[in-house]
Amino acid sequence: MQSFGYRRPGTIDEALALLQEHGDAARVLAGGTDLVIELRNRWRRPKIVIDLKRIEELRPPIREVEGRLVFTALAVMSEIVADERVQLHFPALAEAADVVGSIQIRNRATLAGNICNGSPAADTAPPLLVYGAEVVIAAKNGTRRVAVDDFIIGPGKVDLQPTELVTSIEIPISATPIAAAYTRMTRRRGTDLASITLCCGVDATGTTRLAYGSVGPRALLVIDNSGVLADPAASDEAKAPVLASMFSAASPSPKSMRAGPEYRVAMLPVLGARALRTAIERQTRVP
Amino acid sequence: MKVDNIGAPAQRLGGIDRVTGHQRYVADLPIADTLHAKLVALDCAHARILSIDTSVAEKVPGVVFVMTADDLPTPMPRFGPQYQDRPVIAEGTTNYHGEPVAAVVAETKDAAEEAATLVKVEFEELPAIFTVEAALDPAAELIQDPSIRRPGPFTETNILTEYHFGWGDVDAMDADMVVEHTYAWPMQTHFAIEPHGYIAAPDGDGIIVWSSIQHPYQLQKTVATVLGMPLSKVRVIAPDPGGGFGGKQHPKLEPLVAFMAMRAGRPVRLILSLEEAFQGVRRAGTEVKVRMGLKSDGTLVFQDYVNRFLIGAYGDTGDRISAKASFLSAGPYRTPAVRIVSQAILSHTTPTHPYRGFGIPQVTWARESCLDEAAIALGIDRLEIRLHNLVRYGEEHVPGDTPADGDWAQTVRKAAEEIHWGTPLPPGQGRGIAIGVKSGPTTGLSYATVRFLADASVMVFSGTSDMGQGARTIFAQIAAEELGVSLDRVAVVMGDTAVVPYDQQTSASRSSVLMGNAVLDACRDIQRKIRAMAARLHDVEEAEITVDRGVVHLPDAELPIVDVLKAGLGRMGGEVVGNGEARKEAFPDHPLGGTALFFEFNCTACDVAVDPETGEVTILRHVTVGDVGLALNPVQVTGQDEGAAIMGIGHALMEHLILDDKGRTRNLGAIDYRIPTSLDLPGELHSFSIENADGPGPYGIKGISEGSLLCTAPAVAGAVRDATGAVVRRLPLSPENVWRAMKEKT
Amino acid sequence: MNEMMQVEMTVNGRVRSFDVAVNHTLLEVLRDDIGLTGTKECCVVGECGACTVLIDGVPMNSCLMLAVEADGADVLTVEGLATDGHLDRLQQAFLEQGAAQCGFCIPGQLMSAHALLQRNPHPTIDDINEALAGNLCRCAGYQQISAAIMSSAEGAGR
Repeated sequence: MQSFGYRRPGTIDEALALLQEHGDAARVLAGGTDLVIELRNRWRRPKIVIDLKRIEELRPPIREVEGRLVFTALAVMSEIVADERVQLHFPALAEAADVVGSIQIRNRATLAGNICNGSPAADTAPPLLVYGAEVVIAAKNGTRRVAVDDFIIGPGKVDLQPTELVTSIEIPISATPIAAAYTRMTRRRGTDLASITLCCGVDATGTTRLAYGSVGPRALLVIDNSGVLADPAASDEAKAPVLASMFSAASPSPKSMRAGPEYRVAMLPVLGARALRTAIERQTRVP
Repeated sequence: MKVDNIGAPAQRLGGIDRVTGHQRYVADLPIADTLHAKLVALDCAHARILSIDTSVAEKVPGVVFVMTADDLPTPMPRFGPQYQDRPVIAEGTTNYHGEPVAAVVAETKDAAEEAATLVKVEFEELPAIFTVEAALDPAAELIQDPSIRRPGPFTETNILTEYHFGWGDVDAMDADMVVEHTYAWPMQTHFAIEPHGYIAAPDGDGIIVWSSIQHPYQLQKTVATVLGMPLSKVRVIAPDPGGGFGGKQHPKLEPLVAFMAMRAGRPVRLILSLEEAFQGVRRAGTEVKVRMGLKSDGTLVFQDYVNRFLIGAYGDTGDRISAKASFLSAGPYRTPAVRIVSQAILSHTTPTHPYRGFGIPQVTWARESCLDEAAIALGIDRLEIRLHNLVRYGEEHVPGDTPADGDWAQTVRKAAEEIHWGTPLPPGQGRGIAIGVKSGPTTGLSYATVRFLADASVMVFSGTSDMGQGARTIFAQIAAEELGVSLDRVAVVMGDTAVVPYDQQTSASRSSVLMGNAVLDACRDIQRKIRAMAARLHDVEEAEITVDRGVVHLPDAELPIVDVLKAGLGRMGGEVVGNGEARKEAFPDHPLGGTALFFEFNCTACDVAVDPETGEVTILRHVTVGDVGLALNPVQVTGQDEGAAIMGIGHALMEHLILDDKGRTRNLGAIDYRIPTSLDLPGELHSFSIENADGPGPYGIKGISEGSLLCTAPAVAGAVRDATGAVVRRLPLSPENVWRAMKEKT
Repeated sequence: MNEMMQVEMTVNGRVRSFDVAVNHTLLEVLRDDIGLTGTKECCVVGECGACTVLIDGVPMNSCLMLAVEADGADVLTVEGLATDGHLDRLQQAFLEQGAAQCGFCIPGQLMSAHALLQRNPHPTIDDINEALAGNLCRCAGYQQISAAIMSSAEGAGR
């Protein structure tokens, strides 16, 4: 492995000071499941790696604060899958977290890392978009909050400066809950990077929020207020054109080796309809 | 003591080390004072090397030297199992993606890796040839300079070899119907979980080479040749490979590591990454064009094949794979006229290496799929058309070759019964059935030594590699049975050419038969000596004594062999040594140089469901039936058979190497080359053995380790077609390919 | 030059205090520094599971973890499963069911299986296939492996 320095700050302030000092030459280590590969392959050559795991402020990694469920930078996928609050309020996020790699990966990979990497195929991006999650970013001069939809920019790009640190991702526990479901398309049943990631959510007002990834430079969120999609009584024929229109922005790369663009485009409404059905079932189960 | 080791589910020898982590694979060997090597390769398929600047790399602390072609003898030593065309390291040009151009040797892994990134290679990328079509273009660049080719009619082309097999006159045959299609099989990689590893160390005036190789004696010969040493000075130690599947048969980078160790005067180790292993070895992609003529009742009247095997930049075993597989293109079916043209075509890709099935899965995919097409067109049941044409026990399917050596219809009927062939299925489900047959070895030579020690324990010495198939256990079972000792008193020593006698190779599911017979022969040698002892001890004529399976039969008594051994050796102790040999002689007039020692015969049937919207295939039930002769160790037979079936399912559903438009492999490594996981198993998987004890090995066994992947793909594709009507002729049966076929059908 | 750091970790029940290079993975340190070569290296991207070890009882890919991250942790490798030279029940079951063929993936399979049985002493076949989906076996002895885990779990209930 290439050589680099290692620091493990005990507080967020210490971490920020290190980022301030090293800027671009520092890489943050949370779960490490992507970072260690990046380091081994020398895709980046940082001077120091800043390990967040000794920062006590980031524990417990999942907590409820003022009507929001907070996932700190240390919250790993298996904790999210197992968390009863997530299962109750945000089952689609649990579903997405549950298919990130193997159990060994899920025991290490963090939600924050999944979003900060800016991968178009990030499984957790669609549910976070549907649930209206925000990213909390700390810097030396204060903290800012950005909607996940604004935070994600493109492949490998997010709205984060080298001196900033994502401390948590937060989802509001809404009074009008969104019933959502997550699904994906893969090449095998075992662990795989998805060629489509998709989350569909409906709420009591008839709004449908659909987010999908891996079919363009970033995961996209599309909202339907017509009420047709969310209507349990509406026919599949009535829904089909509305659903189709929601995928108009999909632009799968012809260079992907995971699936061709024609297939991906054809599968979006198939997966969309399936996730929508599950979401509506979940909605009607809400008392 | 009467023992019963034959057909017993004996626990694996070496099993305890495998479950405690103490099994030492090459990368685990603690060899003092070892240097670490790292390869340098170019990120292109074909290039002219203009210059290599190692000066910066050599300044990295800990670097001992950087090896390039300039540091090797002139002319560049070349080697290979069939053709001596592979350079120790690339010289002048690189001819496949990943071919090493330099190697760094350093005190630490970190230093070697760092320095490898600092070797500056100036090169000019050249257009690469990596499809059959491009290679056969008369204007195509020659992949190999004629100077390294054997003279022949194809020297000025990219065809390495072309074979014509067959009998009868295809053109004169009168068929009621002719079906013709082309079937493609993609390049695939072995993906042994242990990446290849090599260590070499100078040893006096000789050398020791450790390698995860299947054929240690072939490696010994290769290293001796390139270094100009006698065989006696080259010691090869081959720890049990962590999976081989054919990919570890022949030497690859050992000559380079040997040269580096000689130059360093110290041990040098090179453990490949999985990506490098993918670049080092692969399976041939094929295009097989089949024409089948049939009578309206389904009787085959001719089969006509053009088989194109896209092999790599060096011959390796590409010629033999294409020839041996093509020879059996027509399968186990009675066919009056057969014509087979087989080509091994060079390309700027990783050299083609043996891969479990040795080309048979590729031709079987075409034949069995085409036979399904014929059956459907004729309105004949797909099982019936197979049984109708299948040769009977003792009947020749290839004139002049070994006739059918089993009751093959019994195997096919068992598979049909276990898949409930002919019973109704719900909509969206379908069934498929296919037959595979593969020749075992056509020639072969194995020696074994067995030492019967004074305390009635036994050591078996064998040059076979135990790469998971369980050869060690099989040999121990044979020795225990013949010498009348319990299995836990038998040790099997393998993988060291300084210790074990010669074995030609570990391949072609040969070891239980060939080496098994050699071990049996060695035990018989001991039994003869025991008989002489008994005659002396009991004062009877040798002719009046027989010895078998652990028992000495005297005219008026029976004694355990062990008692005779102990009495015979007396107070001085000592041992009785037996030597054994097994040969499969060559037949120079045979197109393959020899007839099949046995056949691996398999019938696979499955029941699948296909998602009508996405094309995803779910195998609900998968049945594989093999004619094994006799299952000497049923647990190991099941393990090998299920393992091959699952590997075959991987080949059918998901596995393929993907090249980019410049011939570079895109899916190097585990992220984008998908193999089956525990979640990708069929809903039910059942393996059955047909046992008529009619094989040429000890107690009637046949080889078994490849059978259940020979015909997996056509069985699954047939089931997909049965479920959906969609026909896929180009693997894999990925959701996307099945979806496309479903769409094209409508 | 590599930056070094002193760490203390419990490896297979033994507390060890030693210096590691901060840029070395736990896999490298286990194999090259401590000499515990039972943990295997294959894909080094977290796909194959050959390097699986338990960190405070939780299965992780040691190829994707810096050794310094395990400072203060309890590390269990395949060498720590047997006690006083006696195989544990799971290892015995792997032997009996013929689950180990070439054996290279087996240490990782055992560690994932061990972790599964710790959190779910009576798993179903589906639980097993899910828990071991991150451990590739190219010999594809998956059915023997799950049979071994099932029989070992049944034994636990005796």
